[in-house]
Amino acid sequence: MKILSRPFAFNFRSAMVICISALIPLTLSAEQKPFAPESIQGVTIVTAEQVIDMILANPDLIIIDSRKKTEYQKGHIEGAINILNTRLEQEDLEQIAPEKSTEMLFYCNGIRCIRSSDSIHKVQDWGYTNLIWFRGGWKEWMEKRFPIVTN
Amino acid sequence: MKIESLSLKSSTIAIFIMIGIAATILSLFAGAYFKQAALEAQMKSLSRVIEVASQELLKEIGVHTSDLGMKLTHSSELISAINHSRKTGNTDQLVELLDDPFINGFAGFSDVNLKKIRVYNLELELIGKSKAGLDGLGDKLDDHIAMILSQRKGVERLKVIDAIWMSPEGPLFSTLVPLGGLHAIGYLELIVNPVFNLPDIEHITNTPVRVYSMSGVQISKGGQDIPEGLLPVELILHSSNGTPAFRIVGYENIEEMNQEMGRTQIVTTGSFLLLELLILLFALWLFNKFLFLPVSRMLHDMSLLSHGQLDLTVNAKGLREFHIFANAFNAMTDQIRMRTNDLTRLLNLDDSALMCFDHDNDAVYFNKAATSLFGYTNDEIIDLDIADLFSDDIASLKTDPDKKSGSHEGNPRTLLNCKHKDGHQFQRNAIINTIRVRGQTGLGVALNTTSEGKDTSTLQNHQRLEAVEQTLSNLLAFARDNPDILPGVEAPQPTDTSSTGASHQKSVLREHVVRVMNLALTCWEYDLGKTKIDLAEESRIWPVYIDKSTPTTRTLDKYLNIDNCPKNPRSQRVIDTAEFVLRETKTKKSVKRGELREATDHFRRLLSGINSHNK
Repeated sequence: MKILSRPFAFNFRSAMVICISALIPLTLSAEQKPFAPESIQGVTIVTAEQVIDMILANPDLIIIDSRKKTEYQKGHIEGAINILNTRLEQEDLEQIAPEKSTEMLFYCNGIRCIRSSDSIHKVQDWGYTNLIWFRGGWKEWMEKRFPIVTN
Repeated sequence: MKIESLSLKSSTIAIFIMIGIAATILSLFAGAYFKQAALEAQMKSLSRVIEVASQELLKEIGVHTSDLGMKLTHSSELISAINHSRKTGNTDQLVELLDDPFINGFAGFSDVNLKKIRVYNLELELIGKSKAGLDGLGDKLDDHIAMILSQRKGVERLKVIDAIWMSPEGPLFSTLVPLGGLHAIGYLELIVNPVFNLPDIEHITNTPVRVYSMSGVQISKGGQDIPEGLLPVELILHSSNGTPAFRIVGYENIEEMNQEMGRTQIVTTGSFLLLELLILLFALWLFNKFLFLPVSRMLHDMSLLSHGQLDLTVNAKGLREFHIFANAFNAMTDQIRMRTNDLTRLLNLDDSALMCFDHDNDAVYFNKAATSLFGYTNDEIIDLDIADLFSDDIASLKTDPDKKSGSHEGNPRTLLNCKHKDGHQFQRNAIINTIRVRGQTGLGVALNTTSEGKDTSTLQNHQRLEAVEQTLSNLLAFARDNPDILPGVEAPQPTDTSSTGASHQKSVLREHVVRVMNLALTCWEYDLGKTKIDLAEESRIWPVYIDKSTPTTRTLDKYLNIDNCPKNPRSQRVIDTAEFVLRETKTKKSVKRGELREATDHFRRLLSGINSHNK
């Protein structure tokens, strides 16, 4: 009985250690999920109401939805173009906005989403200067229950 | 019940018991109160859960309706139909489009019960409405929804509005969506019946739920049956303007909670009572250690002191008050001891022979001069009678001391014939005073120890005698309360001469004394063949006198005859004699010895009965 109990105790203890070791990174990753930056130099941050005002004031405003396509299809801001941050290419953007001073608005899922800020950094590197960031993103839009477009 | 009969210990324990009973009752009461409070908290909690669940359901309805609304509002067909109807006033195409969801369904069709779709312009005037669905709702947008919309400015008016409102057909749920997206040209209202969704509350709360109208009619039957004994918990669901819309009743199973509460109550009450018992026991232990035992020791010491052991000191260890009390008592005892010694010394210093006799003419006090004059020791005095000392009948001189004038003229002064221990007789001048002894009339006798037979200074002697008399009275008064302090003075006897019970006890006691003494003497003589003088000498209990060169046992003799037996016989001496004889004759098994043992035991019982009665 004693002979059996020792390996069992060892195995059980080992299993516990492995489980805990596996859980620690998961917990840390949940806690350490990155926030979008508070601000980006040279970029104007706007709220949902300001987005609507800007859309109504400037019908040619380019709105870039940096989320995944499936998310976009479930619902998006009226007039938004879906370009995932990882697929954003300078050539494609130059076709949409040839002028570097073109006013462009970026959004993604919200403050826990870094896709739109990533897109903005790229676009800034390409020389675009008139950039607007809807940092609250889709989450803020839906919470305020503004109209959406679904496919 | 008199307060004097209650001891500190019993009253403290009684108080503790009362505290214990009160605490028990309070704990039971508190248990019941907490149970009720827990039940109310449970009801409030479930009510809150139902409220949250209903809000969640309404939100879910709102999601479905706004989804449908968003799809419709971005439909170019619908926009053109609206524009067409605005221009031409023909709403057929619009109505057809609005009826389409009722006919062909929509995403979430099975999740809500769509009742009507209505289209308004920006001024909230009706443009068109579906033909399908509920009739009788009218054309007007609900006042409360209209008010909400009117209070919004700018882009705020683009926000979707959800609301429950009171229609003529009952409470309904509406979602108002801006028509045309951000470039709103009007509003689309989707009306659903929330009763379709509300029973789903029971899936969220996991309790049976019934929905009633405010008039009390059950308007939905839940999926779960309601067993007996469930506690109904009610929630009133209000419309957006605050009007009660639905009565939602959830049925909570409190059986489990009751069992849990019962267990908790038993555990908490039991623990509380156990704790309380332990605290009470601890308090009692403390009281016992620091109060009862010190007080008991103190009382014991005081009792010994009051019975003459003046060399004792009361144990003063205890709480502060008792410490002070014991110290005060010790100080008082010191004073008494000092004064008693002073008195005894004063009386012993006097040249006169001072004697005191009680109402039975038994000697109770001899000063030093008296013992040396008559040749007796202090131990022998207590056995003496006035007749053993004087040939004259001086007992007849007793008068009531309270009627004395106080003048020295009233004191009988005479020449007394005295008997020495060795039997020779002599004469001395004497002053005889009637004094109060043990509450009864006794005699104080002062004898001139010189034999000239004439007064050298009558007045001086008289003053001395008066002083001595006063001292004697004081001493006797003290001795009366402390019978063991002065040798030969016993506890005072009841003074009520009318008490026939007491006198009967005395006479019975004397009879037993005489019987035991006679049996002891008979046994002594029969079993051992010795004489009465031998008994007195060997036992050292009774004095042996020499009358004209003949040894006599005058005192012992008195105890053998009922007529001569002292009225207050020395019971302990009788028992000691009997015990001595029984000890000496223990090898003999005579009938007399058995009788003596039996009589002694009976005498003891009699004595203990009298003592307990006197207490």
